Amino acid sequence: MSSVDRSLNLHIHNLYCEHHGWLHAWLDRKLGNTSDAADLAHDTFLRLLTRQARTLGAEPRALLTHIAKGLVIDRWRRQDVERAYLETIAHLPEPQVPSPETRWLILEALYRIDAMLSQMPDKTRQAFLMSQIDGMTYPQIAIELGVSLISVKRYMRDAFLACLSVAE
Amino acid sequence: MNPSIDPVILGEAADWLVQLQSGSATEEDHRAIQLWQGRSAQHAQAWQRAEAILGDLRAVPGSIASETIKRMRRNQGIGRRQALNGLGLFLLAGPAVWLAYREVPWQAWTADQRTAIGEQRGFTLPDGTRLLINTGSSLNIAFSPRERRIKLLDGEVLITTAKDPSAAHRPFIVQTRHGTARALGTRFSVRVGETRSSVAVMEGAVEMLPDHGTQGVILKAGEQSAFGLSAIDPVLPLDTSAMTWENGMIVARNMRLSDLLAELGRYRPGVLRCHDAVADLTVSGAFSLRDTDASLRLLQDTLPITVSSHTRYWVVIEPR
Repeated sequence: MSSVDRSLNLHIHNLYCEHHGWLHAWLDRKLGNTSDAADLAHDTFLRLLTRQARTLGAEPRALLTHIAKGLVIDRWRRQDVERAYLETIAHLPEPQVPSPETRWLILEALYRIDAMLSQMPDKTRQAFLMSQIDGMTYPQIAIELGVSLISVKRYMRDAFLACLSVAE
Repeated sequence: MNPSIDPVILGEAADWLVQLQSGSATEEDHRAIQLWQGRSAQHAQAWQRAEAILGDLRAVPGSIASETIKRMRRNQGIGRRQALNGLGLFLLAGPAVWLAYREVPWQAWTADQRTAIGEQRGFTLPDGTRLLINTGSSLNIAFSPRERRIKLLDGEVLITTAKDPSAAHRPFIVQTRHGTARALGTRFSVRVGETRSSVAVMEGAVEMLPDHGTQGVILKAGEQSAFGLSAIDPVLPLDTSAMTWENGMIVARNMRLSDLLAELGRYRPGVLRCHDAVADLTVSGAFSLRDTDASLRLLQDTLPITVSSHTRYWVVIEPR
């Protein structure tokens, strides 16, 4: 272990001692739930450790807040996706409801799809959903949206590019 | 983790996706894509992303997809946007997709791996699967045309599976003295002990099957459990702090001192004893596994304990 790593680890330990308190309180205010806040405070430090960058910068408090915000948003979005899924299957006849084993697969996929969709402008997203979810052909989409076939292909290209850029 | 891919290559991948999904893709196109993705590691990675995207789109059944996505977008429209503004920033995209190398064409492939106490070693298998072998571990790797199997004899291994590049989609199995853990596309760790093997799943899912058991249990992302020769323990939420060994750290949260020392002890040769009087002290904080001496010093600085080393190999933690 290099001395750089060593001092960094010592630094992280000190950060934990100094900052865990306020971070937990901050998350508690955002989430309104002490045990969720404790989870995310913990995850924030885990995330700090698993970052690629091996420096912490001059403003550890800002960095921790930045990471924690990302985790809060992540959690909200997962909750949104899960809620939408539960609302949908509540209306399905029993045989069509996916098994509990496949449920996580679907939720994970939906979560990633959501992240991809959020990167797309409206028209692009519309075309993309028509093609990929509703199974429409490019000519059908062109008619539906009242645009040329070339435009549809351009929307699809933009959409896939957005997906590829998100799916890192 | 995820080296960035040249935007030009991503653009070409997008072009191929448009063509593939146009309904007029030909055999010729498929062959051309195969050639294209063989051009460089970045091309291959770009196409893996593309396949992962198509996989996600296929994973959601048609009866659910349209309705759920509509609801998802509606939910987000309301309230959430304000909440995001309240946080002062916009969407961050999370999920990570592993990268894999396809340099070596796989065939039957075997190897034995062993790590010393305190050593951790990363390793890429011919199919692109990443192994990180933890301290004091040994395992055998046995790949055949029908399956990808790892025999974990001792210790612990963290696995990030890659999609099998062969057409056969061989299952990925970790075998211990107690049974098997079968990966269903995933990132997970297996640790073998005297009487039990424990499994923790970070992404995807893993099926545990004791050698003398009749029925397996599927662990999904965010869950952990353990099994003996015949029985499987209840499924628990994943203790992520147990997984930071990958980064050479352990993040303790209200952990008993004796439990923390037991963990640290795995990474150093010799004996690390904890006096009963201090065993139940609770500890929170981040501690290095790569420099356990430094971790012991930190404990001594923050707790009413003293660390007495008779030799480097005989260390006792006592009340101060």
